[in-house]
Amino acid sequence: MIARRNLIRDALAHCVLIVAAVVLIFPFVWMLSGSFKDSLEVVKMPPNLIPETFRFSNYTEITKYFPIYRFLANSIAVSVVTTALQLLVCAMSAFVFAKIRFKGREALFVLFLITMMIPMQVTMTPLFIVFQKLNLIDTYAGLILPGIFSAYGTFLLRQHITTIPDTLLEAAFMDGASYFKVFRSIILPLSKPSIAALSIFSFMATWNNFLWPLIITSDTNIMTLPIGLSKLQGRWATEWNILMAGNVVSFIPIFIVFLFASKYIIKGVTMSGVKG
Amino acid sequence: MTKKSRIWSVLILIAVMLVVTACGGNNGAKQPSNANTPADTTAANEGNKEKDPAAEPKQDPVTLKFMQYTASGSQEETLDAMVKAFEAANPAIKVNVEVVDYANYYTKLNTQIASGDGPDVFEVGYENFASYAAKNTLKDLTSVIAADTSFKPESFQGLAYDAFNYGGKQYGVVESFSAVVLYYNKDLFDKYQVEYPTADWTWKEELAAAKKMTDPKNGVWGTYAPIQFYEFYKTIAQNGGGIWTADNKPNVNSKENIEALNWMLGKASKEKVSPPLNDDTFSQPDADLNAFMAGKLAMLRAGTWNFGRFAEAPFKWDIALEPGNTQKAHHFFADGLVVAGTTKNEEAAWKFIKFMSSDPAAVSLRIEKGWSTPAVSDDAVMQAYYDQKPPESKKIMLEALDSLVLPPVGPIPDQWGDLQKAIGDELEKAKLKPDYTAEQALNAAQKNVEKLLGK
Amino acid sequence: MVGQKTFSKWLIIIVFLLPSLAGLVLFQLIPLLSSAVISFTDWDLITKARFVGFDNYLEALGDEQTLSSLLNIVRYIVGYLPTVLVLGLFFSVLLGRKMKGVKLYRIFIFIPVITSWVAVAIVWRWLLNGQSGLVNYFLSFFGVQGPIWLQDFTWAMPAIIAVSIWKDIGYVTIILLAGLQEISDDYYEAAIIDGASGIGKFFNITLPLLTPSLFFVIVISLINGFQLFDQVMVMTRGGPAGATATLVQQIYENAFQNYKMGFASAQSWILFLIIFAVTLIQQSLQKRWVTYDR
Repeated sequence: MIARRNLIRDALAHCVLIVAAVVLIFPFVWMLSGSFKDSLEVVKMPPNLIPETFRFSNYTEITKYFPIYRFLANSIAVSVVTTALQLLVCAMSAFVFAKIRFKGREALFVLFLITMMIPMQVTMTPLFIVFQKLNLIDTYAGLILPGIFSAYGTFLLRQHITTIPDTLLEAAFMDGASYFKVFRSIILPLSKPSIAALSIFSFMATWNNFLWPLIITSDTNIMTLPIGLSKLQGRWATEWNILMAGNVVSFIPIFIVFLFASKYIIKGVTMSGVKG
Repeated sequence: MTKKSRIWSVLILIAVMLVVTACGGNNGAKQPSNANTPADTTAANEGNKEKDPAAEPKQDPVTLKFMQYTASGSQEETLDAMVKAFEAANPAIKVNVEVVDYANYYTKLNTQIASGDGPDVFEVGYENFASYAAKNTLKDLTSVIAADTSFKPESFQGLAYDAFNYGGKQYGVVESFSAVVLYYNKDLFDKYQVEYPTADWTWKEELAAAKKMTDPKNGVWGTYAPIQFYEFYKTIAQNGGGIWTADNKPNVNSKENIEALNWMLGKASKEKVSPPLNDDTFSQPDADLNAFMAGKLAMLRAGTWNFGRFAEAPFKWDIALEPGNTQKAHHFFADGLVVAGTTKNEEAAWKFIKFMSSDPAAVSLRIEKGWSTPAVSDDAVMQAYYDQKPPESKKIMLEALDSLVLPPVGPIPDQWGDLQKAIGDELEKAKLKPDYTAEQALNAAQKNVEKLLGK
Repeated sequence: MVGQKTFSKWLIIIVFLLPSLAGLVLFQLIPLLSSAVISFTDWDLITKARFVGFDNYLEALGDEQTLSSLLNIVRYIVGYLPTVLVLGLFFSVLLGRKMKGVKLYRIFIFIPVITSWVAVAIVWRWLLNGQSGLVNYFLSFFGVQGPIWLQDFTWAMPAIIAVSIWKDIGYVTIILLAGLQEISDDYYEAAIIDGASGIGKFFNITLPLLTPSLFFVIVISLINGFQLFDQVMVMTRGGPAGATATLVQQIYENAFQNYKMGFASAQSWILFLIIFAVTLIQQSLQKRWVTYDR
């Protein structure tokens, strides 16, 4: 009886999800197919879903515009380091904001939030001058440093850590555990889903970041992929097929990170919770 | 807190400090490679020494910072070759090139200038040049040019050269230029037995020809020009109008201008020789160019930068002067090099500008690689350019220069962006709102521009 | 939380907060305060700045474009936020189920999030094309003559909203999904013992325990919504005739193209005050509906 009810529900869920999936991935499929078309077919209206002929050369032609391997390597290095450091820094401060009461905590937290409220378009120039004073223009450090300290990440993790029951922590303290031990063996393991989620967002944000790398780098040896992609859009005209190919290349690493991290978002075994 | 955990805390603290300083240290480590400038220059110097050890004793190499946009994407290698040629000819000068795509060029340029670490030499388009010149941030080159006997301003296309003159002072030298001309599909003209456009065509002849070739059922249109601000300021000039009066008062809603806008809109709405105004297929990026390539447009007003793109068209085409109404008018876009007012290397900067804009080596490279149109008038150098076909009538470009209109920056060069919006938004309304007349739009635009002046 | 000695408590606070604080002060607060100073000048980036008092603020507050773009943003948020929340909640519950193929759906829903706006915009511009777009073709089955979305003064903003929802839905879903996963099973077990029904469990346990995540999504979506920029730049550039113009787009153009960094900074601080007020209101309201530790 219960099994049958579940079956019907599953079928319903599948119907909804299949429709949603088509809508969700259609533009991506179109981008993928566009990346194999020639420059005329890619702008044809209405577009063909499957290219007349597959031009793999669009991908190799990217190298005519910018050194894609170098840029790709830079992007990977910068994104991985930024993400790792951001996770650490944010998890630590989120723990404090979520679980340790002290005077001025709320005010301090609001200060964190404030930093997200001014458009970076106007703080970028002063920040550039700060980095110039620190002698960090045109360095990897210049690319990485601003991304590590994230009010967003702190906020995200704090919200999840607060849901960890206090009774768990209190029990640990009873057993003589230190704050650090609690952080390492209770908070971190229990926050795996949100840390995994943050790692995706953090990687993605760094990966796609454009304006900051644009102004902080002048040396093509340390430039990142989005700057290369901007070279594919010309002043007068754009080769859309090559641009699509470039965007597919840029898509893949984030996708891999997502595949990897999403495993940790979903708890493996017990899924009883949400089932109706 | 246990002892162990206290140690842990301290360790973490140290680790974080390390990370922060490591990043700083990274910078230190990076410094030498960042300074691949000095390193490279010494290498270059050593190269020189090997060539003629005695000739040049020790001369401190000057490093010029150079920023530009026209090479972005497809011509960066050509630019590299030009700069290398310059460095070879001037061993004492080393040029640090930075290429930024056009859409983000001024963001980066202005940020660097703001930080006090801007380039010595940079590229500007005419409309932005006026802002920098008006704000007094450029080096006045008038006397340098006068003193340099080997530099001849006459060797440039006169009007192109004068574009970088502001308030009687020469602030820069034009490198390349482009214009907008009338492209036409010869095969379609032949099919409908229409005479090819000539220099004395006016709007009337254009319309008559367009009517013969329009075939909406097959999506073929007689003529097309976009409806936006740039097209507008040229079209009103073709009707004897203008954004500003002779003494720089706003004159957006003059009779001539309203007439011109009605002509622009009427081709689609009344005469139906252009795609309908609300056909947003034509508002997609590059849609008009693609339509021409697909043989769907008999005539198209488009930039001379499209020669390369149309070279692969599966039909015969050529260019002609744009038909005007009461007079001729053609767009003119010039890119030139200017020297920052703050530079400490004025002399080297001038040498560089001179080389890039007029040295036969640089100009020939530019032509050979099909990188826009050099503005020099020396036929010996330029013949190679005219020989590259299509189009057959390439030299028409030069005739277009006789009736050029510069971007109408008027008395407010540093509000060029606002001016575009003040008029452009109204043009868009006239185009898309069915009962919004050209007159209403331009009256509103006039008010907007007056407001800008009041600021 | 009680129980620990004050010394070790403060030590952990300092050690754990210091990196964040130092970074935020250096890389966020200093630039932020600089922009506040700049907002009182007529700086154009390329020449020396002059102090102009409150002129920029007065000008911005009387500026039609600033005000109409603020109005556009409000329209955007009103359309965007409730929809993305409800859909996100719906999908996160659906994708949290244990069933065949669910992993694949989770991937699909996230694909728009990681596809670049530039590529997405080209596709959507075609889908929303008035004459030959798929959206209007689909609508025609229901006898509806669709507008020319992106060139329609009324419908351009709804189109931007729809595309934004399409792009962000996976993002919201993932956050809520992570929140769902962190709800301890103990709660559900206790509820089962109490004999709670499926719907009862959702409203009594799932939803309340998800409120911290929901709060996060709302706060962040509002902050991002007020700073709407990317999608407008690639889809409409603020057109037609300013119908989708947003404040940050103007700020960007004023700062770097129109030589008005001082004015752009003032606009930014006005925007800041609005976002700040909205966030404070949410902070004070959260006690009423957000359930933290139980």
